[in-house]
Amino acid sequence: MAVAALHEGARPNNVFTRHDIHNDTVLDCDVVIVGSGAGGSPVAAELAEAGYDVVVLEEGSYYQTRDFTANTSQMVRQLYRDGGASLAIGNPPIMFQEGRAVGGSTVINGGMSWRTPDNILARWREETGADDLTPDLLAPYYERVEKRIHAAPMDKEAIGNDNWLLKKGADAKGWETIGNIRNQVHCVGSNRCAFGCPTGAKQSALVSYIPRALHFGARVYADVRVNRITFHGKRATGVIGKCGTHNVVVRAKLVVASCGAIHTPALLARSGLKSRSGLLGGNLSLHPNVKVVAIFEEDVTGWQGAHQAFQVREFVESGLGCFAAVNLPPSVVAMSVPHRGKQLGVLMEQYNHMVVAGLLCEDTTTGHVKVINGRPQAFYQLSEHDAANMQRGLVLLAELLFAAGAKKLLLPFHDAKELHSADDAHRFLDRPIPPKGWEVVTVHMMGTAKMGTDRTTSVTDSFGFMHDVDRLLISDASVFPSPCRVNPMETIMALATRSAGHIIDNSRRYLG
Amino acid sequence: MSYQHPKTTQRVLESLVPVICPPEAHHLGAAIVADMAAQFDSVPAILQRALAAGFLAYDLGAIPRHGRRAHKLGPVQAEAYFSSWEHGITPLHREFAARMTSLMSLACYEQPEMMERVGYRVGPWIEQVTKKRLAVFSDDIKKQQAQLLAPDPLRPAAKKKEVA
Repeated sequence: MAVAALHEGARPNNVFTRHDIHNDTVLDCDVVIVGSGAGGSPVAAELAEAGYDVVVLEEGSYYQTRDFTANTSQMVRQLYRDGGASLAIGNPPIMFQEGRAVGGSTVINGGMSWRTPDNILARWREETGADDLTPDLLAPYYERVEKRIHAAPMDKEAIGNDNWLLKKGADAKGWETIGNIRNQVHCVGSNRCAFGCPTGAKQSALVSYIPRALHFGARVYADVRVNRITFHGKRATGVIGKCGTHNVVVRAKLVVASCGAIHTPALLARSGLKSRSGLLGGNLSLHPNVKVVAIFEEDVTGWQGAHQAFQVREFVESGLGCFAAVNLPPSVVAMSVPHRGKQLGVLMEQYNHMVVAGLLCEDTTTGHVKVINGRPQAFYQLSEHDAANMQRGLVLLAELLFAAGAKKLLLPFHDAKELHSADDAHRFLDRPIPPKGWEVVTVHMMGTAKMGTDRTTSVTDSFGFMHDVDRLLISDASVFPSPCRVNPMETIMALATRSAGHIIDNSRRYLG
Repeated sequence: MSYQHPKTTQRVLESLVPVICPPEAHHLGAAIVADMAAQFDSVPAILQRALAAGFLAYDLGAIPRHGRRAHKLGPVQAEAYFSSWEHGITPLHREFAARMTSLMSLACYEQPEMMERVGYRVGPWIEQVTKKRLAVFSDDIKKQQAQLLAPDPLRPAAKKKEVA
């Protein structure tokens, strides 16, 4: 087998796109999966290997590694939903990003591969009544996922200066830093994870689970937007969607919704489904995160090196998930700072001396998703408590960056002044900053179809099957009962694998 | 690409280039405005309509204060008018100004000349590290690809024939 053959070269025969669908189309299969990301692709691969006829529908297009170029805005337009401009309405509005391509958000994420911590699983057991969500019982599924996506520490030589500076600052403060585990095979540090890995090193679903599913006979239809699920009585029987102007109807024994925590509740609502818990679309948590730009005298050139090679985990127990260096292309840095005109030019001249660092907050409040004119709209109000926690985190992050040698720091607030020392940070951040003043972003949306054993307080059972509906599985971060504290991809994949096992174990019930 | 800037949007954006972009990018105005059209092409139609309404409001809003539309203001007045939106009395004014600053700054530093200027030469870097990866780590890459296609059933004992 030639190197990189899985994700380069001719389009596989069982991948279909808008170029192949010229008429209204009806498909029959055992399992139809809506969404090809972290939640959908493991189910597709496992059930296809078990011998079932699997159809995967993906709203986004099919790209290969060779399509991932250095053109950032083109990549954003191709790979991100709404060109990356999705907003959760609140004060402040929170910008969130979702992938929209075969492979879903795994194509555009940083590839952090972490198991949900034991104490969070303990909380989930309490919140859901699902006694089997234990580290021991989930371990085989995590191990299987880690093997499939090659979750591994970074090669040391691929780590860039921005990450070493982050570690230097953490070491100077005596804070715990861990080497990141990422789904990659010898990442060589092109630092383009968020725009489609151009080297093929990141083992996104596009280059891992999807090729496996295709190998075992699954069919992938890209460019198909699913409008609703069909039913016979309470039993899900398939989906109806569109590819361009053509209708696509899929008839299946089992329907799997894996559209992510914003679009899965919207698909269910468009299909006329409600949860007696009243929680469908509610319980939205999103790990708000903020970024700062630190300027160093020395050359950093952070784009030559791996994304988030380290995480500072010193403060996780107090709700600050991690600090990390997250290099961004110049266009994204420019759009993230309030500067304009001459000031913007002066700042950007220092681009190769910048470390962009972020912190992630484990949120304590929830928002919701509503369907307006058939489209989901997220609403989320950052709480005073979480804003205060992020403010505390910013002081700590500023201390770290100045300890690493930063000369200047830009903060994520409108009209925030530049800081020149850790004392500056303390002085500036000692005053209360109302939530509305923050520039907050996120990529971790969770919880809008919460799982649990009690149908009056949850939307799905602990395997993700929707209560009171037959043969409808939800397989994505929607089912998380609350924030998972770490990057959610691996847990989404592990729970998806567990659900696939449950389906195989109970094939008469779900596929008979 | 199906989206094209409405006339007013086009004119306002052209007039904002000297306000938002650094002086060294002013000659790239046409490319920057075209890049923004590509950005707007990927947002939902409802948002495109909202943007068009926003640009119209911005353009007409200059008349009471400056006696002419925003896209016809001179440099000093254009700066003052945009600044008045940045510090506007409603969140909508402020949000519009902030988002335009963001989107135009993004489009500005997407221009190859501007990337080169700040020392971001990522294309050759990607080429270099990709070659290195394939040369140095080909055995491990092949091993992973073989693993991805190797039979490894989740439930080895299960048989599909159980399904009626």
